[in-house]
Formats: sequence, structure tokens, C-alpha cells
Amino acid sequence: MFCLALPMSTLLAQINKPINITPPEPLLVKAGANVEETLNLSVREGFHVNSDKPKDEYIIPIKLTWTGAPLETRQVIYPKPAEIKVGDQQLTVFSGSFPIKTQFHVAEGAAKGTVTVSGKLRYQACNNEMCLRPVTVDIPLTVTIE
Amino acid sequence: MKILKSLVIIAVAALAFLFSCSSSATVGAVRPVKERKPAPDFTLKDASGASVKLSDYRGKVVLLNFWATWCGPCKMEIPWFIEFQQQFKDRGFTVLGVAMDDDGWQSVKPYVAERRVNYRVLLGDDTVSTRYGGVDSLPTTFVIDQEGRIASAHVGLIGKNEYLGEIQTLLGIKQTESARVLPGAADVYAASANQ
Repeated sequence: MFCLALPMSTLLAQINKPINITPPEPLLVKAGANVEETLNLSVREGFHVNSDKPKDEYIIPIKLTWTGAPLETRQVIYPKPAEIKVGDQQLTVFSGSFPIKTQFHVAEGAAKGTVTVSGKLRYQACNNEMCLRPVTVDIPLTVTIE
Repeated sequence: MKILKSLVIIAVAALAFLFSCSSSATVGAVRPVKERKPAPDFTLKDASGASVKLSDYRGKVVLLNFWATWCGPCKMEIPWFIEFQQQFKDRGFTVLGVAMDDDGWQSVKPYVAERRVNYRVLLGDDTVSTRYGGVDSLPTTFVIDQEGRIASAHVGLIGKNEYLGEIQTLLGIKQTESARVLPGAADVYAASANQ
């Protein structure tokens, strides 16, 4: 019998995208300036992702990090999460659409030109019946210093 | 909600397809013997560092549960599995937990100790998860018969009674009345989440 051994991981990879991330707008900045970037996310209906400050030590929080000169991350600001109780567990989660804001400082002596700063968003999503394994998504941010 | 249901159906269908390659797509109930496929063998370590091979459990009914400490629905099932282990361990049954935590025993060991898990827990890896179809969603559970064949596969939280029924069927135990009156797990979970 012909058996098409299509891995389930391939199939699930197509459906396991609980978060839609809108690519961040390119930044046009000046050396020495402070600037804020907003990353807009949308969680698929029925799913939630853990907040940045979960109440349970075992829960994996959402975390956005940036690396790369000439931007220095001053603060990453997450919205206020919703609180839900699941079984005997109190969770703080994000669902629907929400922004994560990052406040950057541009280095004083930053050279003019365009660079790409590397962002990484790590999150872990669940619905009422299952959880998806945590993932880390690369988020490139184009920065032009004028 | 329709999208969510579709996702679950697709995932279950994928599991059925992967493990049967037959015209039947039934997953959730114990499959007829002729439709069961061999459970992929593996060797993983338990918390004491001992190697554990799935095929060493040939002759027993094995509930093979992929889980993680960060997985809420998985945590709802664990007390049931503790109960099953206690209830059926002397009747040719065992639970094997395969933890998929990225940080390994650092999270798993204390959790297992806190919850007083009475069955063997192993640390999973990508090789084993690939053999079982990827295991991108947790919990994912396989009920394996005495001949080492997959009798049922479940992606996501199902009811305690469904597991109990499958275990009892494979062990040749008449199903109890109490098994039929417990609420479905997904219903309980959903009700809690909506509070």
C-alpha cells in the first residue's frame, strides 16, 4: 500500500502560528535621539500567550529583546495582561491584538546610514485544549540615521 | 471558535494519517488490532540518569504522554495519570511521561517532586518527538497495547473517562459506572478559562 509519510510537523507548522506579527515600521532617527517603536501583534482567536510576568514560575513569559548598534534598548513596555483562571492555576495572558512598545536611545556618535537591528520575540501560546511549544521569532528592524 | 475546531481536527487527522496510512481516520477510541501500527521505539533517560527503552515495556499497556511543565492542559491530566498508575500498575499497565521542557530536568525534577508523580518521567528530545510526528502541541498522548502497537492517539486535552475507557478496554477490564459520569476535561478547562 502506498503510504505518503508526510510528517505531522509539516502539517502543524502550517497551522501552529498563533501570533501574527506586523513587521515594524522602519525608523528614521538622529544620533543621540530617543525613539519609540511599536510592535503590533495579533493572537489567533481561541489562543492566548503568556504575559511578560506570569504568576507561575513554570510558565514561559513573552519576551522581546533587541540587539545591535546603534540602538540601545531603554525599556520594553508590555500592555496590562488579562487574568484568567485555568484549573487551579491563575494565569496572566495576552489575547486578541496588542502592542509591545520599545523605547530606544540612539548612540550619540552613530554614523549616518541604514542598519538592521535584530529583534527576537519569544512566546508560548495555548488554547483551552493544548499548548504549542515555545518559539522564538526573528524581527528585523531597519534603522536609518540621518 | 470554528477556526480552533478546524485546527484540532486537522491535527488529529494528521496524527491518524501518520500512524495509520489506512482509509480509517479514527483517532480517540481504541483502534481495531489490524489497524494498529508499531509505536516507534526510543531510549531516553529518566531523572536518575537511567536509560529507559519503550520496547522494554512490551507486554504492558503503556500510556505515553508528551507534556511540559509550562503546559496548563498537561497539568490537568497529570493527577489522572497518577490515579491510573496507582489503580492499574499491578494489572499490566504503566504511564510513561516524556517531558519536552527546553531547560530539561531543571524544571521537570522539582515539578515531578512537587506533584508526587508516581510514574516514570523521561526527558524528551527532538529525535523522539520527530518519530512521533513532531509533537508540536502538548499534551500529545499515545495509548500503546501489549504488543507495542499504537491503539489510540490524542492531541490536546481529552476527558479522563476516554483514557480510562481505553485503558480498561486494552486491559480487558469491564468499564465502571463511575467512568461514565465524570465531566469532560476540555469542558472543565474551558469553563475555568472563561471565568
